[in-house]
Amino acid sequence: MARRVRIGIDTGGTFTDIVAIDERTGELVTTKTPSTPEDPADGFMTGVGRVLDLLSVDGSAVSSVAHGTTVATNQLLEDKLGRLGFITTEGYEFLLEIARQSVPDGYGNSYFWVKPDRIVPVDRVRTVGGRLDFCGNEVRPFDTEQAAEVARWFRAHDITTIGVCFLHSYADPSHEQAMRAALAAEHPDAVVSLSSDVLREYREYERAITTLVDAAVKPKVAAYVAGLARRLHEFAPGVPFSIMRSNGGVLSAAEVVHQPITTVLSGPAAGALGAGLIAQRAGYERVLTLDGGGTSTDVSVVLGGEPTLTTEGSIGRYPSKIPMIDVVTVGAGGGSIAWISPEGTLKVGPRSAGAVPGPMCYPEGGAEPTVTDAHVILGRIPPHLLGGEIPLSVDAARSGLSRLAAELGMTVEAGASGILEISAWNQANALRQITVKRGLDVRDFTMVTFGGSGSLLACRLIDILNLPAVLVPLDPGTTSAYGLLTVDARCDYVQTAVSRHRDLSLADVSSAYAELRDRAAAALGREGFPAGDQRFLRTADLRYFGQAFEVRVPVADGDLDQSAADVVASAFHDAHRALYGYDFAGDDQQQVEWVNLRVTGVGPIRRPTPRSVPGGDGAPVAAQTGERGVWFDVASAPAHIYDRALLRAGDVVAGPAVIEEFGSTIPVHPGFTATVDRHGNIVLAGSSES
Amino acid sequence: MTVDPILLEIVQGSLASVEREVETAIARTSRSPMIRDAHDFRAGIHDRRLRKLTGRSYSALVHPIARDFPLDTMRPGDIFFHNDVYTSEGGIGHLPDLCVTVPVFHEEDVVAFVQAFGHHDDIGGAVPGSMPSHARSVFEEGLMVPPIKLWDAGVRNEAALRIMTRNSRMPDSLAADLDAECSACLMGSRRLGELFARYGRAPIEECFDALLANTTETFRREILVKIPDGSWVWEDYAEHDGVDPPRLHTQRITLTKTPDRILLDFTGTSEQAKGPINHCGDYADGNFLKKWLAPILRNLADTPERMAELDVNEGVVPLIEMRFPPPGTLLTPIFPAPTNARTFVILRLLGVLAGVLAKAVDGRMPADQETIRYTGVYGEDADGEQYLMREVLGGGSGGRYYADGEDTIHVVPESRNLPTEFTESRFPFLVERLGLAVDSGGPGEFRGGLGYDKHIRMLKDASFMSIADRSILACWGVRGGRAGQPFSVVVDPGGPGEREVDALADGEPVRVGEVIRIRTTGGGGWGDPLQRPVEKVLRDVLWGKVSAAGAREGYGVVVTGGTSGMDGTGHTVDIGATRSLRAQLRAARPAEQPFFDRGPGYARLSGGAPYPDVDLL
Repeated sequence: MARRVRIGIDTGGTFTDIVAIDERTGELVTTKTPSTPEDPADGFMTGVGRVLDLLSVDGSAVSSVAHGTTVATNQLLEDKLGRLGFITTEGYEFLLEIARQSVPDGYGNSYFWVKPDRIVPVDRVRTVGGRLDFCGNEVRPFDTEQAAEVARWFRAHDITTIGVCFLHSYADPSHEQAMRAALAAEHPDAVVSLSSDVLREYREYERAITTLVDAAVKPKVAAYVAGLARRLHEFAPGVPFSIMRSNGGVLSAAEVVHQPITTVLSGPAAGALGAGLIAQRAGYERVLTLDGGGTSTDVSVVLGGEPTLTTEGSIGRYPSKIPMIDVVTVGAGGGSIAWISPEGTLKVGPRSAGAVPGPMCYPEGGAEPTVTDAHVILGRIPPHLLGGEIPLSVDAARSGLSRLAAELGMTVEAGASGILEISAWNQANALRQITVKRGLDVRDFTMVTFGGSGSLLACRLIDILNLPAVLVPLDPGTTSAYGLLTVDARCDYVQTAVSRHRDLSLADVSSAYAELRDRAAAALGREGFPAGDQRFLRTADLRYFGQAFEVRVPVADGDLDQSAADVVASAFHDAHRALYGYDFAGDDQQQVEWVNLRVTGVGPIRRPTPRSVPGGDGAPVAAQTGERGVWFDVASAPAHIYDRALLRAGDVVAGPAVIEEFGSTIPVHPGFTATVDRHGNIVLAGSSES
Repeated sequence: MTVDPILLEIVQGSLASVEREVETAIARTSRSPMIRDAHDFRAGIHDRRLRKLTGRSYSALVHPIARDFPLDTMRPGDIFFHNDVYTSEGGIGHLPDLCVTVPVFHEEDVVAFVQAFGHHDDIGGAVPGSMPSHARSVFEEGLMVPPIKLWDAGVRNEAALRIMTRNSRMPDSLAADLDAECSACLMGSRRLGELFARYGRAPIEECFDALLANTTETFRREILVKIPDGSWVWEDYAEHDGVDPPRLHTQRITLTKTPDRILLDFTGTSEQAKGPINHCGDYADGNFLKKWLAPILRNLADTPERMAELDVNEGVVPLIEMRFPPPGTLLTPIFPAPTNARTFVILRLLGVLAGVLAKAVDGRMPADQETIRYTGVYGEDADGEQYLMREVLGGGSGGRYYADGEDTIHVVPESRNLPTEFTESRFPFLVERLGLAVDSGGPGEFRGGLGYDKHIRMLKDASFMSIADRSILACWGVRGGRAGQPFSVVVDPGGPGEREVDALADGEPVRVGEVIRIRTTGGGGWGDPLQRPVEKVLRDVLWGKVSAAGAREGYGVVVTGGTSGMDGTGHTVDIGATRSLRAQLRAARPAEQPFFDRGPGYARLSGGAPYPDVDLL
């Protein structure tokens, strides 16, 4: 059978989502299966089997598989990093203890803050002599004897996962490579990550942590990916298998295990990409994405279909300088618990009832009222989940919430509305913070909501944030898995090379770019992309001399002559103004400084053609399945219930209404309309009278 | 509670978010390293009654603005500016803190203020960086600007800006920092205006009242009840003022607790210093100092987690009464007494309050920390251009009744040290060592945290500057805990030019190739070190935080074998020898012991007395 089916599989905390597309017919099918946290590969294989059944094909028809995984993320969030060793430059054995000396949060916390345990305790840190300066020049030669001694020490102590970070190794990796050679000779079983491989960027503490995290997740990610690949190949021999990375690209499973830290935001990255692409095809260029799950909500900014990236991210308590999609996670999901603080105020989250025991309305649910309980009491979601598979108990929700409401002197419905209002404001504040951080105005953005609970508060967010519209994709429960089918192969290479613009050596910059490009080309070649298909994006991080933050700007292809370099500097002034409201263009006192050179290699894939839905007559009566009382305001009022599967392009649903589908619900508040576009997306907007 | 609990939570969440958004915007757009890296800036939101609503940061005061510009004369587009310590009502401590205030309007009326101040590079005066450690008057410290309109109904006051930038050695970063503060506060003011527009003025103001009342009630219920009624007195000292030879500059608090208030009386505080360590505290009934000191009270909450949750806003003010000595003391200086190193006083006061509380609550307060000092080098870089590298290095925090003190931390939240890979790329030196000062943490059942051991090798001739206290006196230990090690700077340690540098140094010459070794303070210990479990002492030795000699002297633990650092294995504890050494040390103790240990430096400055009477319970 011809290979023609592409599969995307996103493993989440509760469900594994699968999307498959038959490239010949364009037929697209989706399904969900419970995740299997003890071995995520089981859920993965179940999902593959199920989706192929839906298409009535077998493994031999599969042309590629792309996967979003949380194996590395979970290991970090659970803080189970194992016994690591760390090797660094002489004089820096306390680098991890010192960190950046900062105490989190409020003033006065330094008196009572208890520093969390370090990722590697001091007795498993060893130092080696040898020193480079910031240009990579050798100040003192590498002490190979000491290196061998250190390697033997780790072997003798049976420490087999080791991170190496020497000062200024971003400028010259030779000392770290010599250390790897010493480890290979003396301690061949060791799994080693070098900072110069993981991240060639200045700031020793962050680079060291990034390197150690990479080393820590390597054994587990490698074993997981290898196991999956084996099972997949038994089933579909030779099928290309790639893993979603935090940077918004995929890389083959074989390659990704060498840099497993790049998978930490695998799932959220796929969601932001999928949502961004869907929005772009619907005609929106400036987009916020909001992925609402059970315990938390992920938000990100997508400009022109490209999610914004950050190199200042963190996972759990570990900073990561690896380029990753800038996703902010808020502790506001369907399972977020409502509670009364010691001060007597109503709070929502960040604690969550999770999937187990879940909200009070779930069968065998928890004992504390949650956001989902509030929704079900108000009738904004149906009293069941997943198209009826799971019944929800309105009575259980009411009884729990009535206790809380009584304490506040409110009716149950007012309490439920209040919980949802606070939850909406929590999400709104998170959305404001990610836009402010980038110097953007939230009012200029259309929001895409997806995930099981993502769209429930969409109308409130339109109102609170003054958004022009919210777009809800078809089948929003599987947007992340769909995103996996839309992703190019992508690999990032960076080189710190600090130089003031006026002193810039064009030859040095050009050769650094050439080297980065060669590395990217080699990686894409290993992925099977012929040279003609490979694309390369050059960027540079620049700053004003004296600043500690850089701004990334594009560097055009072709020869980097003086005028091309000046174009980069000029783009930097513009970008700086856009981000920060001012620049120093034309001010000779303000030197521009080049800091990091970057090349991203892209191996393009064919994206699925957009789905389309047939046109209707604009009056969605046929999709109406009933009516029920829904509290949108201070009283219950009858609202039409619609089945999303029956809506047609051009249909307009006016609130109050509720649009239901498998795995998600869209409450349409009074004064709002939901319009179906030609791709089946629902566009929510306030009507002019709202 | 009559206020709508839903709206209250929305208002509180929005205030916290706006505070964060304003700080985020300033952090990303300012240019002074003191703001960018040391995070020495703060935003605050205040209501029209000048009450501080936000709770995570300290902040300046709106009082001086309202005093000079009545609210009904303010117009949209006005931005106020001041940095003049003596006209700031005690809200600004030294001139480099440039403060911007933006009113928030609802309809025609001022309903709130968004304010930010940040520590800028240079505002003129006798030395680069505007912190002359030997200043004798505020006129040497830079340009003083009393409250002015920096923007008047949307029109920038170009003359004022030109005067300010003209007086700075770093005019560009000054201008950029001011821009950053102004635009961030304007954004914050728009955001708050939207909140008023959405919900109306009365409901929002009711929420402001309620959230302050909640803080008052929470502190009364969870904090004040922990202090028995009664009166206690304690004092601590700055050791030098940059002008006079080192001596004890006393800061004293008499704390009187009544059922629902605490009275802090500063009588007994020394006369004002000739040098710049004075702080203008006695304005607006001590309004600034009340909010500055109140975070110390959080240590009385039940758990560290709860301590972290408590906000300090204007709601703490009704619980604290202050009494100041007459004008002419460290806390009541008379114009034009210099103030640029007033951290010596206001940071010390945090510790004086912690200490006097410790006497009241059987020591259930943290031992002492000293986590701010400025050190730096300046000169010409490789390109012949002038540079100033100045950094705020933290120190160890004090032991607590539930945990050891932490190593190398900083009292200012999010303040960061400078990465070696950043500083070496910008300044002509190598950081040969960034480590912890072994044995610097005060011994205790809960050990004090360690200070830095930082070695900088100059690649060009340069000058070293330092503004630091606690170089003679140490961070105190409490309830049997011992003092930490003090701050010290040595140039060319072990070399022919070895020399100790004074902790207040404007420009110690350092030659190319010489190493500057900076050791910062360790925190005080908490509780009897002879009670510290042997295995914790052994771990500290293994980790290189305590030497074998330090284990013996400080803890009575005899560690044998092995060596610290690179080969830190093979240590064992001689249990028999430890038991007898501990018994011997215990027996040798005098009958009456002070509740605090200040280290050997105290006797040097006191004229021989080992401790002051206030150290006895």
